[in-house]
Amino acid sequence: MRTLEEKATSEWIRFQEEIGIDILVDGEQYRGDMATYFAENLEGTEISGLVRSYGNRYYKKPIIVDELKRRGPISVDWFTFAQAQTERPVKGMITGPYTMMDWSFDEYYGSRADACLAFAKLLHEEAVALEAAGAKVVQVDEPALSTRFDELPLLVKAVGIVTKGLTAKTVLHTCYGNYNEIFDYFNQLPVDQLDLEMSNSGLDLLERFKREPLKKEIAFGVVDVHSHVIEPESLIRERIEKALTIFSPAKLYIDPDCGLKTRSVEEAQGKLRNMVAAARAVRKARGLT
Amino acid sequence: MVQTTVVGTYPRIGETFEEQALRRGIARLDRGEIGEADLQVVERDTVRDVLREQNEIGIDLVTDGQISWYDSQSHFAGKLTSIEINGLVRYFDTNTYYRQPVVSGAVGWKEPVFVDEWKFAQSNSKAPVKAVLTGPVTLASLALDKHYRSKKTLALDLATAIGEEVGTLVQAGASHVQIDEPILTRHPNDLSLVSESLERIRSHKSSATLTLFTFFGDVATIYKDLAEVPADILGLDLVQGSATWTPLAKHGSTKPLVLGLVDARNTKEEDPAAIAKKALDLKSAIDLKSSYLSPSNGLEFLPRDRARKKLRILRAAAKKVGVGA
Repeated sequence: MRTLEEKATSEWIRFQEEIGIDILVDGEQYRGDMATYFAENLEGTEISGLVRSYGNRYYKKPIIVDELKRRGPISVDWFTFAQAQTERPVKGMITGPYTMMDWSFDEYYGSRADACLAFAKLLHEEAVALEAAGAKVVQVDEPALSTRFDELPLLVKAVGIVTKGLTAKTVLHTCYGNYNEIFDYFNQLPVDQLDLEMSNSGLDLLERFKREPLKKEIAFGVVDVHSHVIEPESLIRERIEKALTIFSPAKLYIDPDCGLKTRSVEEAQGKLRNMVAAARAVRKARGLT
Repeated sequence: MVQTTVVGTYPRIGETFEEQALRRGIARLDRGEIGEADLQVVERDTVRDVLREQNEIGIDLVTDGQISWYDSQSHFAGKLTSIEINGLVRYFDTNTYYRQPVVSGAVGWKEPVFVDEWKFAQSNSKAPVKAVLTGPVTLASLALDKHYRSKKTLALDLATAIGEEVGTLVQAGASHVQIDEPILTRHPNDLSLVSESLERIRSHKSSATLTLFTFFGDVATIYKDLAEVPADILGLDLVQGSATWTPLAKHGSTKPLVLGLVDARNTKEEDPAAIAKKALDLKSAIDLKSSYLSPSNGLEFLPRDRARKKLRILRAAAKKVGVGA
């Protein structure tokens, strides 16, 4: 299995290089599910049966049955493997503490805050290990960010524990939430860059960003990862141009709304190819490097 | 003795090959290998299994598990006039997502949506099958309204459409109809709108029993007024909504209640004796004999094996209430 996972990882690294992506990911070919992967590599957890997320998508949910402990590095060897295949930076990818807590059943802590902060402590160790292994960018994925607005202070605290003291560029990714409700927290998030799904939300947020500027970099999702349709370059270009009416080019990164694992290989490649082509066309038209 | 019921959803798949037929069927439909009619056969097999599991455990009032629903919002809304279904949005504070209904014109009921599903389910269940519909105020709140620009007007039109649907269900033989309004746990101020819309639905229910269910949180601040809504039974989430317990114990209820005491969002197993004790603590405040014990919300947030365990806990707790009553 490891051989096949390495082969798939190498292929995706090569593909991203070939089409000209600047900051790469390892494609998480070895992760069944983003929360389960970290949970099954920690002590104190069991993995449940399948639970539905939406449509025909299911995942095995972690169950916290004892005190959480880290046995050792979790994703570092895969980061090292992927980074060795390319000169370009590969992102270290961590599922955030709030999402780990929210997507786990808790039979031990009995308090969402306690479980979340326990995850944060262990994921900080993982982030430090990724940085030590050479990660120039560490991304914390928090798709559960907008789950409970009253818990946003907890999320800010927990992500702050994960990113504390890192010199690598830190990114927080989130998706599919009511951004208007959480907008006030965007500038409080203890990361350098915010990565948002924008095309699925119909670019609704742009007006708000115009009124209330983001003080961080933004990674701006321009292709819908839940649609079979491969967006044409012209449409993506329009979306990037719209983003540039609000964000300065130096602070704007272009990416898909979210991970592409729910798409076929052809769809994923088509979306990424058009995305890169659109970004290049915009750069050229505006004389950007 | 107190009775037992479920709230609505049931896990669609389990861990065994046989229990994953629906997942395979949908994947085959997506790949174009089978058609809608073939998938319906698989869905109905799953509904039969879900009903059998509830019947075997001894649940008194069951549901079809909402197996054929894509989600709680788009399944019904998508079949009304002037509603299109759009992208994914998180469903309350769960790890699940619904496709958002987008309202572009006057909303109206076209044809029965649930009647065939309900008839099939009832013909495969010893216990009565409760027809469950998402309430108009929750539907209106979670939709993207590009037409009415008024939640109230949209909700009342949706209530009229739901009323039509309820009428067809009752005509088909449904004796229990449940309207879910989880939005009340987030927007208690919507209570008067919920009441007004329930009046419209109630006029179609004939002799059927109408339940209003709120879940995903508490209704403590509005409990006293909530007890007066035009429904026959009130369903309460007393786990995530444990704060409702205090006003409930204080004011009691003249209506029968569905007491959502078994946690449907966590795998941790409750002690049936502890659940029974909680119910018995209400002995002087409510009529336990006409009330029900239930999970705190739909069971789809649990793996199937854990959902079954929770139902067994529920049944065991109800038996203990019977002994202690």
